[in-house]
Amino acid sequence: MVWRRLLRNRIGVIGALFILANFLVAIFAPWIATHDPLKIDIQNQGAPPSSSFLFGADEYGRDIFSRVIFGSRISLYISIFSVLFALGGGVIFGAMAGYYRGWMENLIMRFMDAIMSFPAILLAIGILAVLGPNLYNVVLALGVVYLPRFARIVHGSVLSLREKEFVEASVAMGNSDWIIISRHILPNCTAPLIVQTTASLAYAILAESALSFLGLGAPPPAPSWGNILSDARNFMMDNAWMTVFPGVAITLAVLGFNLFGDALRDALDPRMK
Amino acid sequence: MLTYIVKRIFYLLPTLFLVAVIVFLLIHLIPGDPALIMLGQEAKPEAVQAIRKELGLDQPLPVQFALWMGNVLRGNFGTSIHSKIPVIQSIRERFPVTFVLTTLAVLFSLLIALPSGILAAVYQNTGKDYLIMLATVLGVSIPGFWLGLMGLLIFSVHFGWLPSTGYVAIWEDFGEGMKYMLLPSVTLGLFMAAVVARMTRSSMLEVFRLEYVTHARAKGLSEWSVINKHALKNAFAPTLTTIGIQYGMLLGGAVVTETVFSLPGLGKYLVVSISMRDYPVVQGCILFVALVYVLINLIVDLLYGYFDPRIQYQ
Amino acid sequence: MISPSPVLSIQNLKTFFYTREGVAKAVNGVSFSISKGEILGVVGESGCGKSMTAFSILRLVPAPGKIVSGQVLFDQQDLLTLSWSRMRQIRGDRISMIFQEPMISLNPAFSIGYQLTEALCVHRKISRLEARQRAIEMLGMVEIPNPEKRINDYPHQLSGGMRQRAMIAEALLLNPDVLLADEPTTALDVTIQAQVLDILYRLTQEMRTAILLITHNLGIVAESAARVVVMYAGKVVEEGPVKDIFEAPAHPYTQGLLKSVPMPGQSRGRDRQDLYEMKGIVPSLFQLPPGCAFHPRCPYAKDSCFQEEPVGSTISPGHSVLCWLYP
Repeated sequence: MVWRRLLRNRIGVIGALFILANFLVAIFAPWIATHDPLKIDIQNQGAPPSSSFLFGADEYGRDIFSRVIFGSRISLYISIFSVLFALGGGVIFGAMAGYYRGWMENLIMRFMDAIMSFPAILLAIGILAVLGPNLYNVVLALGVVYLPRFARIVHGSVLSLREKEFVEASVAMGNSDWIIISRHILPNCTAPLIVQTTASLAYAILAESALSFLGLGAPPPAPSWGNILSDARNFMMDNAWMTVFPGVAITLAVLGFNLFGDALRDALDPRMK
Repeated sequence: MLTYIVKRIFYLLPTLFLVAVIVFLLIHLIPGDPALIMLGQEAKPEAVQAIRKELGLDQPLPVQFALWMGNVLRGNFGTSIHSKIPVIQSIRERFPVTFVLTTLAVLFSLLIALPSGILAAVYQNTGKDYLIMLATVLGVSIPGFWLGLMGLLIFSVHFGWLPSTGYVAIWEDFGEGMKYMLLPSVTLGLFMAAVVARMTRSSMLEVFRLEYVTHARAKGLSEWSVINKHALKNAFAPTLTTIGIQYGMLLGGAVVTETVFSLPGLGKYLVVSISMRDYPVVQGCILFVALVYVLINLIVDLLYGYFDPRIQYQ
Repeated sequence: MISPSPVLSIQNLKTFFYTREGVAKAVNGVSFSISKGEILGVVGESGCGKSMTAFSILRLVPAPGKIVSGQVLFDQQDLLTLSWSRMRQIRGDRISMIFQEPMISLNPAFSIGYQLTEALCVHRKISRLEARQRAIEMLGMVEIPNPEKRINDYPHQLSGGMRQRAMIAEALLLNPDVLLADEPTTALDVTIQAQVLDILYRLTQEMRTAILLITHNLGIVAESAARVVVMYAGKVVEEGPVKDIFEAPAHPYTQGLLKSVPMPGQSRGRDRQDLYEMKGIVPSLFQLPPGCAFHPRCPYAKDSCFQEEPVGSTISPGHSVLCWLYP
């Protein structure tokens, strides 16, 4: 039933198509790209867009088109894994806090509050500042930053559901805590979790590109979109093209998740007929 | 009202404590020897030892934390390894720039977002509404720093209307200062404008369904009054909460914006310090910004009571 | 049926709702009049169109509803043809309305003093200060204790009964000709109901305000109304003086309504009676039965009831009914 509502929303379908395109580009990058994204070719430094350099070349002569194509891999990789981390961690901590209550709940949720007291990018910057910029650390940093949102959702759900009879029945049957949580309680919060996931995926792509732009993300010469823009900044006066395309790529990728996420949220909203 | 304020502040204290713990632990997450990293691998052992003693890194962790907290509470946020200037002094010099940037961004975004959200709600499901909604979706999808770059490209490089780098304080020369601040604050505020517009729209739509709106009309009040007084005052409360949360995104975004536009604010100072491995500065700045964010949210919380009087009496 | 010197007269009013599921004929040809100082009860179950009739009078029908045809005659003009700004002048000033749930119909963000004085200042050119004085007086007249203090309170600080009285005060502050009271006591406790009704009647008697008392509670209609209009599925099925309606109800629906009211001692003793239940349920406004809308539930239904909508007929002076049982 939810599927039908979803498909009826044309904007959501467009968003889904964007996401699909994003995935396909990332998967088939080696076949779509025209050059090796890391290949330096000083002769073609700063070349404007042409038939061989579709988006032009950067200051090292690298083909921007190929770099943007391969950049999709980095942004997808980081956003998916950081959100998975946040989702997994959030479920565990949120469930523990909601189910066991007492001091554990207090400690965990206060900790979540504390993490959320930091502006997101700032905390990620801080973590990356001390751990050093590389792909895994970015996943970790973003994962930590987004974790509290998921934990809150699960915590709230568990709190409201634990008093219901089917939970009592399950306890009476002697099921272990984790079976109760995973089989009975968690399925009931999938809706808000899914919505939060799409939202976080969108944020993560934006965050990763910002971090890379600052030099704290995927280390150069990796063709992260943020890196390309960072390089472009120094070269802006001479070659404007470098600035345009990576940004468009980021926007389209994020747009896909946002449009789809909006449609998903509308479809899951019980108030809509 | 006073008890409400005191209660909110009291509730914050444990969270603030944990915030301090997190910031403190950041330095201790550094793989390897922080002292060595800060001074570089070729540093002489005596210098490393000296710095270790100076930062108290040789003491057990809880003692270090207590010492550090004691300092913080007295306003000592550490000292820069490289410049030897106390962090709090650098903060005092640079934060005003960041503050002006973020405040202008908030003002700009509210100026755009509130009327748009109200308009979209009043003209729900018409062309106006769809246009505004489209704009907001784009607004949350476009990376702010890229928008800043594009803005520079168009208005500075191409047309030459606005300067690309540099800074003049707006309290010294408003006109000149605004020339430097216009582009940065607009690009910084766009994301927030989109989010607030959406929130305002959905909040207004919720309120429109409520009976006191019909009642206001039944009293013969003008439509303007019904929407912008009766409906808005109630709808604004949840929007206010969103604004508070978005301010956090602004503070984070300011770091990037200042880098793009080379503004001498706290954000740029932070990024530069990171590349120089000046960890006390990193620590101090992050702590300060987190505190500012907590303060803003507290103020938002208290303002909420004005827009929704029911809250005060719980 | 037009009563002497009507202050408000509705003629063949139709208000339809156009939705994706079809057209709901919420008000389907309603006509009645109300005279100066008269209390007219409008009864019927939920969904029969009584509230929508009131909203239509003030032209406050929410989308996707539209007033399709008819006339609302007030002060020698048809309200439905007035310009929006002229209509605004009438709302709150000459015709005012009170709502069912005062908790949600009073704005929680403004003090009741503000809400009371607001209409006063908009419609009459008087200062805030003077308006406040009058508001305090009015609050006293609706028996709210300590009105000078209470006027600064917010709606959530008052009890349910006080809120409703504050709303009455607001509605009567400008001395309207007609008061539309949409289920004014339904949300209140029984003991408070009597209190509120009492205040309502007293004040309107003094001011000669006509009240359109919309309710599904036959009890309060019996007590206070002079005439009653019974509505079913968007139409007026019976209309007449209270005494006639209650002693000799003509329409089968009215009879069923009256029989449904439990009497004390009904279910005990030698002459035990089970609670009466009208068979069937209220039809969906999207799919009204052909002919007379009540025929599926009517114990006296005949062929003509399935085929054609009944025409109104007069039983006795002032008492008319819409039913094929009466020629």
